[in-house]
Amino acid sequence: MALLSAVKMVLAGAPPSDMDRERALLRRARAGDPAAFRTLFERHSPGVWRFLRDLLRDEAAADEATQETFVRAHGRLGALRDQDRLGAWLLGIARHVYLESRRSRGVHVDVDDEEHASRVEAVLPTPTPEDLLLDRELEGLLADALGMLREERRAALLLRIDHGLPYEEISSVMGWSLQKVKNEIHRARLQLREQLAAHVGGRP
Amino acid sequence: MSACREGELDALLAGELSPEDAARVDAHVDTCPACRHALTWLRLERGWMAQRARRTPARPALSFSALEARLARPAIPPWVPLPGSWANWGKMMMAAAATVAFVGLSLMQGGPVPLGDEPRGRDVRMLGEACEDPSGEAVAALEAALGACLVASPVISSR
Repeated sequence: MALLSAVKMVLAGAPPSDMDRERALLRRARAGDPAAFRTLFERHSPGVWRFLRDLLRDEAAADEATQETFVRAHGRLGALRDQDRLGAWLLGIARHVYLESRRSRGVHVDVDDEEHASRVEAVLPTPTPEDLLLDRELEGLLADALGMLREERRAALLLRIDHGLPYEEISSVMGWSLQKVKNEIHRARLQLREQLAAHVGGRP
Repeated sequence: MSACREGELDALLAGELSPEDAARVDAHVDTCPACRHALTWLRLERGWMAQRARRTPARPALSFSALEARLARPAIPPWVPLPGSWANWGKMMMAAAATVAFVGLSLMQGGPVPLGDEPRGRDVRMLGEACEDPSGEAVAALEAALGACLVASPVISSR
């Protein structure tokens, strides 16, 4: 079937898009093809691991949670309704794994400052092109700034700015209304910028 | 100004706007210093995140062979009672053990094994009550629920 659709696309003169290839891989993986599942794992596991690392703030715990995410995904591939949303689906499973892990560890640390976040927008400096380079020091500061966000808010922000999910898919993954997703991401951005403003050039 | 919406600027950078909306937002940004400022920050964030993603380290968890090994581990099946006459084998074993213990205790005490209808009836009724212990069913239900939830995968260790 995948071969047939590939032949059709070649005959039509259009190369298969990345999404077409992913759909074909998913069909094969659902039919029990381990090579297809392996390719999907290799495509998506770095993003899933990074998401879990950013949520758990612990690389070893992220290793284990990533494996758990894909074990669950392997058993439930048939339950994925929208084949075009594999990435969001995996990140949704990862979030559940994270929540279970957090409960089992009894960890709940929320560092947030709503009031302060609401009044910082006006004083942010304008970044210069040099600021685009993320050196190791800035990368560490970015990780710390992300860690200062409330966990759920951090997850929503990362789904948008790191994993590129549309707001509608974030709404589905987080179980929030679209308006809440937009509000939370906006607030998260303001807080992140406030944390990093001192390290960004331009006007103070 | 109602036209200043960071969500739209974000969608512009993500390529999620229709050509008409993209042209409208572009035109607005040209005339709005606040939106240009916000757009610069949004570009900065995207750039940082892209660099960070490219630096995702090689981790053992990202090796497919590690996942294969985990998938190959024998799953612990949820406890499911067998259908038919074997469904109550656990209860039968408990009843048999209790009967043996009862007879053994009676013999040790030196008294005769009650043969009359009344005492035997009472003893059997007691054994019957022991057989109706609901804890086995409750445990089975819990195991079935956990099995469904964890998909035959161990709980993430608490560190």
